[in-house]
Amino acid sequence: MPDIKVTPLGAGQDVGRSCILVSIGGKNIMLDCGMHMGYNDDRRFPDFSYVTQNSRLTEFLDCVIISHFHLDHCGALPYMSEMVGYDGPIYMTHPTKAICPILLEDFRKITVDKKGETNFFTSQMIKDCMKKVVPLNLHQTVQVDEELEIKAYYAGHVLGAAMFQIKVGSESVVYTGDYNMTPDRHLGAAWIDKCRPDLLISESTYATTIRDSKRCRERDFLKKVHETVERGGKVLIPVFALGRAQELCILLETFWERMNLKAPIYFSTGLTEKANHYYKLFITWTNQKIRKTFVQRNMFEFKHIKAFDRSYADNPGPMVVFATPGMLHAGQSLQIFKKWAGNEKNMLIMPGYCVQGTVGHKILNGQKKLEMEGRATLDVKLQVEYMSFSAHADAKGIMQLIRMAEPRNMLLVHGEAKKMEFLKDKIEQEFSISCYMPANGETTTIVTNPSVPVDISLNLLKREMALGGPLPDAKRPRTMHGTLIMKDNSLRLVSPEQALKELGLSEHQLRFTCRVQLHDPHSDTDTLGRIYTHLKSVLKSYSIQHVPDGTVIVESIVIKVTSSAEEPNLKVILLSWSYQDEELGSFLSTLLKNGLPS
Amino acid sequence: MDSDCLSLLPAVCLVLADPKQSPPDDTSLEKLLDWFKELHSQSNGQVLLQHQPCLLEFISSVCTSKTTDPAILSFTLKLTGLLAATTQGFHLFDEGGLLVYVFELEAWGVCDLWEDASVRSGWLQGLLDMLKHQQALGFICGNGLIKVILQLQNDRSLFAACLANQLLVHILNFLTSSNMTSGSDVVGSSESSLRPDWVSASSEIMNAVVEALSSEDCPQVLQGLRLLSLVLSQCGEPIISTLWKDVLVPLEVLVNRGSESLIQTLITVLEAALGTPLLSQSEYKVEELLEAMLGDGNRKECFQCAALIVKLEKCPEVLKRKATDIILLPLQCVSTQPQAEKGINVVLKEQLSQKASCISLLMQSLSSLAQLAHTKYLFEDISVHSITSSVVLLLRMCSGHCPSSLIHINTFTHLIGCCKVQRCGLDTLGALSVYEENLDLRKDIFGVLLDLLQSPDSHATVSMCIFVYCMLLILAASDFLPSKLIDLFPVLEKRMCDLRWEVRDSTLEFITQLTAALISNSGFSEALHTSGMVSVLLSSLADAEGYVRASAVAAVGEAVTASFHQTVLASNSKLLEDALVQMMAILSQDTEGFPRRAVVQAFTSWLKGSHLITALESSLSSVLSLGGSDFDWEVKMHTLELAEVLMEKTLTCCPYAVQNFGSSEVRFPQALIKFKDFGLFDLLFNSLFDCDRPVCEKACALLVKLRTLTAETADLDHCVLVLNVCGNRWGDEVQRRYLNKQQAKASVCVTNGVTGSDEGTDCDLHCSKDISLPKILQILDLDDMQRMLTLSSDHVVNSPRSLMEDILSAAQQSEENIVDCY
Repeated sequence: MPDIKVTPLGAGQDVGRSCILVSIGGKNIMLDCGMHMGYNDDRRFPDFSYVTQNSRLTEFLDCVIISHFHLDHCGALPYMSEMVGYDGPIYMTHPTKAICPILLEDFRKITVDKKGETNFFTSQMIKDCMKKVVPLNLHQTVQVDEELEIKAYYAGHVLGAAMFQIKVGSESVVYTGDYNMTPDRHLGAAWIDKCRPDLLISESTYATTIRDSKRCRERDFLKKVHETVERGGKVLIPVFALGRAQELCILLETFWERMNLKAPIYFSTGLTEKANHYYKLFITWTNQKIRKTFVQRNMFEFKHIKAFDRSYADNPGPMVVFATPGMLHAGQSLQIFKKWAGNEKNMLIMPGYCVQGTVGHKILNGQKKLEMEGRATLDVKLQVEYMSFSAHADAKGIMQLIRMAEPRNMLLVHGEAKKMEFLKDKIEQEFSISCYMPANGETTTIVTNPSVPVDISLNLLKREMALGGPLPDAKRPRTMHGTLIMKDNSLRLVSPEQALKELGLSEHQLRFTCRVQLHDPHSDTDTLGRIYTHLKSVLKSYSIQHVPDGTVIVESIVIKVTSSAEEPNLKVILLSWSYQDEELGSFLSTLLKNGLPS
Repeated sequence: MDSDCLSLLPAVCLVLADPKQSPPDDTSLEKLLDWFKELHSQSNGQVLLQHQPCLLEFISSVCTSKTTDPAILSFTLKLTGLLAATTQGFHLFDEGGLLVYVFELEAWGVCDLWEDASVRSGWLQGLLDMLKHQQALGFICGNGLIKVILQLQNDRSLFAACLANQLLVHILNFLTSSNMTSGSDVVGSSESSLRPDWVSASSEIMNAVVEALSSEDCPQVLQGLRLLSLVLSQCGEPIISTLWKDVLVPLEVLVNRGSESLIQTLITVLEAALGTPLLSQSEYKVEELLEAMLGDGNRKECFQCAALIVKLEKCPEVLKRKATDIILLPLQCVSTQPQAEKGINVVLKEQLSQKASCISLLMQSLSSLAQLAHTKYLFEDISVHSITSSVVLLLRMCSGHCPSSLIHINTFTHLIGCCKVQRCGLDTLGALSVYEENLDLRKDIFGVLLDLLQSPDSHATVSMCIFVYCMLLILAASDFLPSKLIDLFPVLEKRMCDLRWEVRDSTLEFITQLTAALISNSGFSEALHTSGMVSVLLSSLADAEGYVRASAVAAVGEAVTASFHQTVLASNSKLLEDALVQMMAILSQDTEGFPRRAVVQAFTSWLKGSHLITALESSLSSVLSLGGSDFDWEVKMHTLELAEVLMEKTLTCCPYAVQNFGSSEVRFPQALIKFKDFGLFDLLFNSLFDCDRPVCEKACALLVKLRTLTAETADLDHCVLVLNVCGNRWGDEVQRRYLNKQQAKASVCVTNGVTGSDEGTDCDLHCSKDISLPKILQILDLDDMQRMLTLSSDHVVNSPRSLMEDILSAAQQSEENIVDCY
């Protein structure tokens, strides 16, 4: 039986680097190629040697698909394509292709800065890798090769995020990447056709959570910022250049406008401009509200948010600063943090993930004394808040997607094992489909039952109609007979005559022969005559001929009689029939074996 | 051993062993294990275990708990293996029976935790780490663990299966070496070679390989083959020949069956066998098996085999030759003339008639040829000329030119616009370009390349390959180029206006390389300027894509350099003028880092050359000021590199000199004044207090260099160079540091009962606006700063102490930070 094989190299029962290998219909596809930011050696990348087993990646993989620009989904791409070596096609949506190099570059810059970093890609490698990327549009079916096709669907989550349907013949897999089923401030909700894939591979970050609405978290965030600013404190929000930053900027901008607040908001890098350029360029990827208001006012042109200069950090009075990098481990965000950490009036809001070892990670874990370079200690007195704004589908959303796509099997990735287990049971119960959750390195095999499309010749259909009544009932299976021709990658069912004609073949006759011995004290001619009379009496509805050349013929069956010179009474009756008359032929041989009536 | 860390270890063990605590950040356990490994390599496990009894307690408590998290358990298994890797450590574990408890399967087999792949991997890794001495081997064999390892060899987890294979090979190796060295090992000498359980262990493993190879189950066969190739490449005699004798029959069956899914692994096995003494003995049939894999070139799989065999390093010549013939078949078949058709085999024809197999076969053929050509392994009697012609013909077919005599019309339709074949074909041509036999084909090849470049349908990645090959062609025969520039430049200009940024960028990168490579070729430089190419380059500086603007900056930079290598023309200075205006605009306004970085780099490369100094003078101070205040730290770094070149050029041979400075004593103060005019000191001092460490480090290094020079110039008049420290950030910092120093000094003086100061002149320093450069360099404790900067690790603290503190503080944190992404 044909099957689909799925092996996660990353994201199998964890929320690390996503990298999932799928084999479908003889094609090998890599879904996402993410990086784990918590390591500073090769462990941050998926181990591609398990994929290839000594061969080159280009020879093994038919394509790579990247679901969105987050580094845990695309961060290992330049390493894979330029350092390990992969020259095949890489697919992603247009916004992902535009934004991906910015984030890769951003991360490269904060990584090469670190000491002891080895084996990391360069700017040139990022560019060369992006040149291999084939961008695609939503709902556009892209033919990777003759057999393999892919199609992208809107996934929400971040600008340009997509779910992908992968199809080979009648087998198909849908990979969700990260998605959310509720619209947020600037993006819409994920959507997919009722495409009934053989397998739906879904993220399950919030597998057991029914998350409070994002509105609540936003309200909380605004309240905290507002209170700090009101009491004259400063708010530091460490962010990465693109993604969460834009969302929070829109949030604050609207709030400042509504409340008529005067405290300055700064963004520390020049990247807002670049990022906003992309949000403007890909306005069709944002939600309806943003698109509608775009004509009157562009949401990404901020009135209250200004560029930051490092001298502003010492200014008295309240302010809000978005600074990079997001993990507070270097650069401007760390510099500002050091200046503001000692004042309890100030606040630090961490909206994203922090790697172990970073200042961000330490203070999120509640450390109040930090050792800076030269063993000087920094007292952390400012308030620290962690706020997750990430847009993933919760348990309800995942179930909703299953209802939408109606998959035959389900496979969970990008989540924690315990939570996945819970959701797996729920899915199996509610939808009566199998649900899998392989760990990294484990292969799940799903047996498929592909339907093979066959063209039927009109003549054959007409003939069948003539035989079986006026019109076939579409809902009832019906047996048809014909000859299947497999030619030029197509299958056609035609009548045997047409098949012979088309293929230039002549029909061969297959005949069965049989000898029956019986004792009959007559001449051969008389015995034959007696056979003729006997058959006439038994097979009344058949036409039986006694041909002068010494044979009796019933349908295609030919009967002859011979006897040996030594024993003239022992007659050998030769029967021969075509395979169409096999039943009759067998019947006659049995009949004659029983002897002739006296 | 860091005592701080060791004092934290008991608390960390308690946290990790507590089943109520969720395990720490997924990287923490791995990093902790890294630290143990390091400790272990420095001292030994016994010391650690003796001084840290908490480790034994931790291991015991984790293994007895039924509610341990799989991640913690896996970590514990690995840790146990590591600590038991010395005989003393092993005994400490063994004394209390802990080792059996940790590794015996009965403890795990019945429990759900064994279902977790990470636990099985941890178990295998633990044993692998432990297997450094004979006691460990005895433990594995004596407790029947070989059977479990063999089962895990077919584990559903790739990682576990791979580890199991490694462990089995390690065991076999260990068994052999123990036999060899019996008597030399003090601890295990008396029992080493004779232990019957060891003998049965090795035959158990070898039987398992034979069994796997004879199996009908493909994954099991694959695992068996993988283990076999590991044994062949990592084990010695007598294991290799004993095992080979046993597997030869099933191996022959597998080879003759020719199953597609096994080819790669079978070749890997045979490749490993080639590196062993098995090759030289005909009864082991290594060569025969390889030959059988090739067949007569009439099996579908033989092409893949041939492609793999030509890559083998130690393969016998005859076989390689045969494989090469098979490799060439598809290419010959496609480009063959009708009269030669008779010789072509049916399988090949059928493969070529279907699109997917046709493309993959041709790609295989082309890439193998490229590989052969790279290694110069083409045989003398194979005509490189005819192969090259065939590749050229193939590329023409890809562009839609159907040769009249072509017999395989199907193949032709499959090839039209096929970028995969185009890329491979171009790579192969590139590899073949080293052969002189192809010289007369250059014209044809160039024509094909131009055709491909001309076509707007050519894939962006194909354009990249064309440029790479064009460069090879041009470098190999620069005499050939000038006549072709007339054809090449218009096509390049067209591609610079391509809709796809990838093509525009690759074209500009190519022009940059070409200009740099042909800088001394007057014909080229002239053509560059007279063809209108320069104006297209200048207009690319305003491209919508940042990558393209950066490449345009580099291309213009090279064009300017090239122009100054030629006769001074009015157009040359016009080019520089235009370039400077646009580049300064990019540096001050561009929203992306790449173009700004490229501008500073262009200035650096101009400055390194000696022609452009005067022309750049007016722009240098702006570049240093803009680059130094850029928000991208890499732009700042490049600006500091520019400053370094400026310093070197000015202070050493001084080609920069617009006037003759005379002797070095006179020259240095003059140079300092020049630096001040350029704003070099502002750049260096501002960068010294930058928020990005690499910038500070670089600035500090340059200032140290400057300080050395200042000190060396004995009679330097301190009044020659005075800097205003007021109103800028670095000045405030200098004053602050000065005051701190003074206060510290004063308090020392008070303590020692000394009054007065011998540095009376310094007293007024904080009131003064102007301070001399040597004084500033003295105030700033540059050596200390440099030391601190070297120590700093950008706050991704990798120290084990920080790691342990993080684990402990995470345990105290009751709130779970919901998983988030970057």
